[in-house]
Amino acid sequence: MRTLKLTGQVVALAAVAGLLGLLIWRLTHQSKPPKIGGPAPAFSLKRIDTSGTLGLASLRGKPVVLNFWASWCVPCKGEAAMLEQASHQYRKQGVVFLGVDFHDLAGDARTFLAHHGVTYPTVQDGSGAVADRYGVSAVPETYFIDRQGRLVGEHIMGTVVHAKDAFRRGVEAALGS
Amino acid sequence: MILRVGALVALALAFVAPAAAACAQPRTSLSYLEGQVMCPTCHTTLDQSDSAAALRIEAYIQKRIDQCATEGQIKSELVANFGAGILAAPPRRGFDLLAWWLPIGGLAAGALLLGLGVWRWSRMRAPDEGPGPVDDDAERQLDELLARLD
Repeated sequence: MRTLKLTGQVVALAAVAGLLGLLIWRLTHQSKPPKIGGPAPAFSLKRIDTSGTLGLASLRGKPVVLNFWASWCVPCKGEAAMLEQASHQYRKQGVVFLGVDFHDLAGDARTFLAHHGVTYPTVQDGSGAVADRYGVSAVPETYFIDRQGRLVGEHIMGTVVHAKDAFRRGVEAALGS
Repeated sequence: MILRVGALVALALAFVAPAAAACAQPRTSLSYLEGQVMCPTCHTTLDQSDSAAALRIEAYIQKRIDQCATEGQIKSELVANFGAGILAAPPRRGFDLLAWWLPIGGLAAGALLLGLGVWRWSRMRAPDEGPGPVDDDAERQLDELLARLD
C-alpha cells in the first residue's frame, strides 16, 4: 500500500512537472520579431514563381528586401506595384527583392504574381514557420537585410505604401550607405 | 399527355444522370471538411472563421469537391501546401498517434487511481463498534423496569 501511494505521488508530480515544462516551453518559444542589427533568421523555401528552392544563405553578400505577403491580403495588393517598381529601381545597385508568400495556396499566389506583374523571386511559406521566426503577426511586413546577413533599417509592419520614407531608409541601410 | 410526361422525364434524366454519375465515389462536402480543416491565420476550424485566408481555403475545397476530389486527396493537397498543422486532428500514424492515445491513457490512469483510492478508503474505515456503554442511571431504570415485569 505504501509503495502504491508513493508511485501515485511520483506519477502526479511527474504530470505536474511535465505540464509546467510545456507551459515554460510555450512561453519561451512565442514568436517575437528578431532584433534589428542581429542576424536574419536563415531559411530555405520552395519557390512559387519557378521550380526549385531558394535559401537566404545564397543571397549573402547582397542587400535583400524581404517582403511577407499573401494573395488574400488586401493591403498586399496595394503595395505590389510599388515593390515591383522599387525592385527595378534598385536592381542596378544589386538589391534583391524576395517575396515570402505566407499561409497561402500556391495557385492563388501564382495568380496574384501574374495579375500584379511581380517578377522578383517569391518563395512559399505555407505553414508560416519562417514567418514565425521573423515574428510576423499579419501581412504585409517588410525587413531589410544587409550584405552581411544582418537585419537593418526599420521593420515595416503594414504596407510600404504608407511608409515610403522608412522603406527608402531601409534599402539604404541594406546597401550600407 | 403520357408521351409528353415521358419525354420530359427522359429529358430531365438526360441532364441529371451524367452529373450524378460524374464522380466515381460519393462526394465529400464542404460543411464536413470545414470542421476538419484549420484556418492557418486564426487557429480555429474553417467553420468558425470568416477570415480572408479561411474563405480562400473554403473556395479551394469547394472547387476540388466539384472536381470529384476525395476527402483524402483534398486533405493531402492542403497538407502539402500548408503543412500538417492545417488539419484539425493529427494523422493516426507515427508519432502523431500519441495525440490520440495519450488522452485515453490519461483517462484510464485517472480512473484506475480513483478506483484504488476508493478501495483504499473503504478498507481504512473504522470498524463498527456498536452502541456505546449504558450509563448508571439508565441501567438502574432498566433494572427497575425488568423487576416490574417480573
